[in-house]
Amino acid sequence: MKPSGRVELVAQLRDLQIVDSEDVHCGIVDDVELTGKAGGKLMVKALLVGPGAYASRLPRWWMALIRFVAGDGCVHVPWREVDSITSVVRLRRRAADLGLNRGEKRAEGYLPPIGALK
Amino acid sequence: MKLAELALGILTAVGGFVDVSELVFMAQAGSRFGYALIWVVVIATIGIMVFGEMSGRVAAIAKQPVFNLMRHRLGLKLGFVTLIASFVSNLICCAAEIGGVALILQLLTGAPYRLMAIAATLAFIASIWMLPFKWIERIYGLLGLFMLVFVAALVAIHPPWAAIAEGALPQVPAGLSTRDLLAFAYFTVALISAVMFPYETYFYSSGGIEDRWTEKDLGINRLTTIVGFGLGSLLAISLLASSAILFGPAGISPDLVGTTALQVAVPFGRIGLLLALLGMLFAISGAAIETCLANAYSLCQFCGWRWGRHSPPHDTPRFTLTWLAVFALALLIVLTGVEPIQLAEYAVVTSILVLPLTYLPLLLLAGDPAYMRAHANGPLAKTLGWAFYAVIVVAALASLPLFLITSGGAL
Repeated sequence: MKPSGRVELVAQLRDLQIVDSEDVHCGIVDDVELTGKAGGKLMVKALLVGPGAYASRLPRWWMALIRFVAGDGCVHVPWREVDSITSVVRLRRRAADLGLNRGEKRAEGYLPPIGALK
Repeated sequence: MKLAELALGILTAVGGFVDVSELVFMAQAGSRFGYALIWVVVIATIGIMVFGEMSGRVAAIAKQPVFNLMRHRLGLKLGFVTLIASFVSNLICCAAEIGGVALILQLLTGAPYRLMAIAATLAFIASIWMLPFKWIERIYGLLGLFMLVFVAALVAIHPPWAAIAEGALPQVPAGLSTRDLLAFAYFTVALISAVMFPYETYFYSSGGIEDRWTEKDLGINRLTTIVGFGLGSLLAISLLASSAILFGPAGISPDLVGTTALQVAVPFGRIGLLLALLGMLFAISGAAIETCLANAYSLCQFCGWRWGRHSPPHDTPRFTLTWLAVFALALLIVLTGVEPIQLAEYAVVTSILVLPLTYLPLLLLAGDPAYMRAHANGPLAKTLGWAFYAVIVVAALASLPLFLITSGGAL
């Protein structure tokens, strides 16, 4: 269920798995974007997903390495798209509609479309 | 049907329990210290039962694999350190397993070692790509049951059962020199690590999520971990005991993977040797696949990517590219010519360093009623969990100094 009141950002939200409306894994809550004023009410504006969202959370040299390997993309997922928060964050729409899982699409191009035996 | 599933699951766990590091360390420990280290295997087996059961329970109830938990509980920085450390440790394990398989294939066919390493890796890639997940588990796990010939060989040489049973009691042999005492301590740590390899829990919990375990599967989870790992451990103990009887008194140090198979040749001749080599081939092959997939699971779970072997490779592209890359890197390590036994030693030392970081988030989450509801750790699981956590922390702290002081137990 999506919390309507206070959200414990670190304990409840940050670093949680995100799944879309079709139960497809589509990233981790790497950070959150807040809106409001210092001393006033702070609201979650968006979930930030992708290596670019780590920048403020890791030492600079780690980030340089990650940027070299994985780039520094960051997708903003509006808070209104969050459907529920349990042991995962569930979104209301498909990952592709929100700009998530682009890396999976790129990786698909390297693999032949032949599958395993069922 | 459920009973057949359960029996297959247990047999698969038994067949898949032994890997190249266990083969090497059990045989060396028996040859050098007789039965005096059996108690370490018993304790470590209870440890892997406790943490294996916990990881399966968390997969069934919280629907969370180990690496998702790790990042959520330890935070990005410490989670990242754990990811890198476990990736390196699993990669070295995977290389050791490929090297072990190549050596056995070389013994069976006489073909060059490096060529066999390449052939084995290609066979593993084809297996994972083409076969359904259940088949992979069962083919390698069940054919690994040829390893039971080691148990039969132990029975056939009429071992001193009372002395073996005494080995299950915690002890340090009397009259050891300082050098031998340090080597004994090193083997203690190495055996704990070899039995409690972290990849086993990564693989087990990820499998539980792929199989969509629910509350109803908790009984199967408990039985598989207790009976499967327990019987697997008896197999490992029989390797140690046979080595103590056959190699120790003759002054043989089983430094090669193939030497261990000779335990079976003594009572059963060529047929026994062939069965032992086949059992080792499939058990180590299964471990190679598990270590490789464990790395792919870890990275994808840490990053939140699509993962799983129940989907065709094309549907989980980053997961597929990761396990292909892990196999390629592991093969490169093998092709440099590093001895598999050396790799097994490095794998054991790096793995024990990762264990405390792996099991802490698991313990925290398995005990958290907010996620686990009525299935959170009870008093027994809590006590055993934290007691074994203390054991692995001490073992992790001691592992590197002991490895360096004893030159990997060679002192």
